[in-house]
Amino acid sequence: MRPARLSRRPAAPVGALLRLSDQGEDHVAQSATLGDRPAASASPATRRSLATRFRRSDSLRGYALLSPTLLVMAIAMCAPTAMMVALSFWVQSGFDITATFTLQNYEQVFSNPIFEALFLRTIAISGTCAVATVLIAYPMAYYVAFHVKKNKLVWVILMTLPFWTSYLLRVFAWKVVLGYNGAINSGLMSLGLISEPLEFLLYSPEAVVITLAHAWAAFAILPIYVSLEKIDRSLLEAASDLGDGPVARFFRVTLPLSAPGVIAALFLIFIPTFGDFVTPALVGGPDGLMLANIVQKMFGKLNNWPLGSALAIAMMAIVTILCVSLIWLSRKAQERMI
Amino acid sequence: MSKLAHLQRPNRPLMIYAIVYLAFLYLPVALLPMFSFNDSIYIRFPLEGFTTKWYAEMFGDRQMHAALRNSIQVGVIASVTATILGIFGAKAVTRFRIKGVKPVLGVIMLPLVIPPIIMGVALLILLTQADIKLSLWTVTMGHILICVPFSIVTLMASFEGFDKSMEEAAADLGDNAWWTFWRVTFPMVFPGILASLLLCFTISFDEFIMAFFLAGTEQTLPIFIYSQLRFPQKLPGVLALGACIITVTFVVVFLAQWLRGRSFGTPQAGGE
Amino acid sequence: MKIKDKVKAYGQGELSRRDMLSAMAAVGVTVAMVPAAPRSAKAAGSDATYFTWGGYDIPELFQPYIAKHGEPPSFSTFGGSEEGLTKMRAGFVADVAHPCNQAVPRWVATGLFQPVDPAKLSNWENVIPSLYQLEGNMEDGRPYMVPMEWGQTSVTYRTDLISPEEESWDILWNPEHEGRLGVIASAGDTWWCAAIKAGVPFEEIATEENFQKVAAVLREQRPLIRTYTDDMTTLEQALASGELVAAMTWNESAVKLRGEGVPVKFADPKEGALTWVCGAMMHKDADVDLAHDIIDSLISVESGTFLIGDYGYGSSNAKAFEQFSEEQLANLGLSSNPTDVLKAGKFQIPQSQEFETKMNQEFENIKAGF
Repeated sequence: MRPARLSRRPAAPVGALLRLSDQGEDHVAQSATLGDRPAASASPATRRSLATRFRRSDSLRGYALLSPTLLVMAIAMCAPTAMMVALSFWVQSGFDITATFTLQNYEQVFSNPIFEALFLRTIAISGTCAVATVLIAYPMAYYVAFHVKKNKLVWVILMTLPFWTSYLLRVFAWKVVLGYNGAINSGLMSLGLISEPLEFLLYSPEAVVITLAHAWAAFAILPIYVSLEKIDRSLLEAASDLGDGPVARFFRVTLPLSAPGVIAALFLIFIPTFGDFVTPALVGGPDGLMLANIVQKMFGKLNNWPLGSALAIAMMAIVTILCVSLIWLSRKAQERMI
Repeated sequence: MSKLAHLQRPNRPLMIYAIVYLAFLYLPVALLPMFSFNDSIYIRFPLEGFTTKWYAEMFGDRQMHAALRNSIQVGVIASVTATILGIFGAKAVTRFRIKGVKPVLGVIMLPLVIPPIIMGVALLILLTQADIKLSLWTVTMGHILICVPFSIVTLMASFEGFDKSMEEAAADLGDNAWWTFWRVTFPMVFPGILASLLLCFTISFDEFIMAFFLAGTEQTLPIFIYSQLRFPQKLPGVLALGACIITVTFVVVFLAQWLRGRSFGTPQAGGE
Repeated sequence: MKIKDKVKAYGQGELSRRDMLSAMAAVGVTVAMVPAAPRSAKAAGSDATYFTWGGYDIPELFQPYIAKHGEPPSFSTFGGSEEGLTKMRAGFVADVAHPCNQAVPRWVATGLFQPVDPAKLSNWENVIPSLYQLEGNMEDGRPYMVPMEWGQTSVTYRTDLISPEEESWDILWNPEHEGRLGVIASAGDTWWCAAIKAGVPFEEIATEENFQKVAAVLREQRPLIRTYTDDMTTLEQALASGELVAAMTWNESAVKLRGEGVPVKFADPKEGALTWVCGAMMHKDADVDLAHDIIDSLISVESGTFLIGDYGYGSSNAKAFEQFSEEQLANLGLSSNPTDVLKAGKFQIPQSQEFETKMNQEFENIKAGF
């Protein structure tokens, strides 16, 4: 007995609806298709069949619902990228941009030793930062996943909370900690461990790595934690049943199973840090400058947008290549393990 | 389960590590409030006496008020828009078997894997070529872009954990799609929606890099803070501001996380 | 229901529709209200924007303006005048901007500015003429740039940490202080100071030979530098903590540090310090009345007194000097007869845009280590 389609209000209150959860799959499937039959207005046969086909197709209806989001994102990602690609082939002198196709920006990107050095340094800093962050975060995630019984949620929140404070102020806080008369130096000196403050702590690539590692630690710990949390404890039990000690069990079961989370964390850190200009600008000193600083200057005081675009595209390409290689490598490693 | 007993034994070194790790995470953050009460415009040790004058100064700073207002505006509009787009997207992906769902999701998640400077620069180029003046609206646009992926991930978790048959029941009883959503789906995913709103707002509120490239005459709070890192006199005031923001953010994020966690009964940690 | 219970109920999806609707309504109303609020709160005074160097966006320079309009103008800052010009060429409109004499011809050439009407400035008669009668500044008796302050870029050093035999730019090139020196990241200051050190006369700074000479001197300096920065905060804090023993700064840093009790001196180098005069320029799309009020405030006696006493700069307002005794001025390195100091100074000379671009690019290369 099908209720009238035109009614806008259900007969039963919401509470009753919530109790109807045991309707069953078949009934659900039926009402899904039948429940959307168009209203009583007459429509030509072809239109009805198209409309019905539309309504019967999960995929099409899905896309219809998805379309605002998809359109917005697609346009908002594609149009600017296309523009940037176009600009990278043009030339700028002073404040005028000549829209003729030329490869000279890319020539500069690949031939200029500064850019090459900066690329290498940026990859080194981001890579070190990613690895270091994952290394220090893993034991913490392990602890919360396996050794915390009560109030896990509280621990998780505590782990991630610092990430939500102002990024700029956190970087500045590290300037204070690493500074000449900052927390570390004055602490070590008052303990008598050093007589002169350590100079390399600030305004160096090391400072950039430390600051970035701290900034992203709270964020990157999440994928690791999630993948550790998901590990079926019975697998661990099985491993020890089969004779593995705790260390062996860690390397043979826990670590490989948490690998997706670790890889995700590496990505989550590498990608944003690769494009960061704030941290190098504030704590990097002359030797700690990264690629993003030059790109930012190209769009700022150096005023060379085409070259900046070419650099940005090169950055994108490098990040993509590195990430794809990492995924491919990890797949290979996983295949070998299994 | 005696074989796993050793896992259940408290592991002292690991626990100490966990505490040291948390200390490492929080100590630099704790420095900021400390220096906001320090009676000197220079941020260095040793400390020089307690004062609340920086807080007073901050509360009277008009420029800061304007920047704060701008950031809140941008944050609210960006988070609401991103959440709405996220609702469409999450519902579509979880409710319908869409062909090619993986590439589609890939496109939508793209902002997560692109360094913000590149997105900011690309948008800047587009806007200047299209002769669109930079303003808070262009900043909002950029922020919506980076918030949508977060919103979708958060909401997908909500939509997936929710029994589809209830929607079908509502449809069966006479509701069309809109009312089904409003009366059945929406109340159930509301914690997820709330979490998405809070998450997106927090992301937008703290976002600096894209705002730096896309802002016009009016500043957002992070832009203001960055410009203030150049002023000796105002630096402690900025730290006072930072301390306030930290407190508020802590409360808000704690709430958002707790809500999400409570709505599933188990601690949810994915999706940020 | 108490809030805590309500929140718990949200988490368990049990809240009634009515509560949820009222919550959404509250959110919706707030969102709708937020854009409206600032519009109603905005008064006329802050409708005008003053685009300037860091440290100048303070109400102390706008006492007459505040008296007239109730609040200071809106501020926006740049790290160097090249950065500011680039931003304005990209479309940023600021009613009044704050370039220095060296940049004025280039700024005028962009066509983005209009001359200021001295008749609308009540303080114009007190402005020292030699400061605005610069080449390319005047058009039909009206100036593009109204001079506001003049000062120097020199070496501020810790008197308790180093004792140089004589005050000279060599302090910043001394290998003994390796890793303890700081200079300004913007070529607008640093390149010219390096030219002084290299013995290159300013009139010939643009020749290829001299360009390479200055570049070489800067390269020589790079390994000794701890930080290149546009932040005066950074340099001042580093000097205060002893991290730097000497840095390239403007007058105000030394004055501020001394005020905080740090033992520093603003050097008077034997080769001469870089001298500049900076002032206000009005955008062609500016609100003319508000812009003139801003400029009038900047050249007022009150602002001049502040600039001299608190920042150690020379004011363009002759009357401001009368507020100080000879001794006070001498302590600040100034004189009640500003023309003498100005004549002895090494003023930057305006260059072509081509030179500026080339200089900036080369300096970025040098800073990056090449």
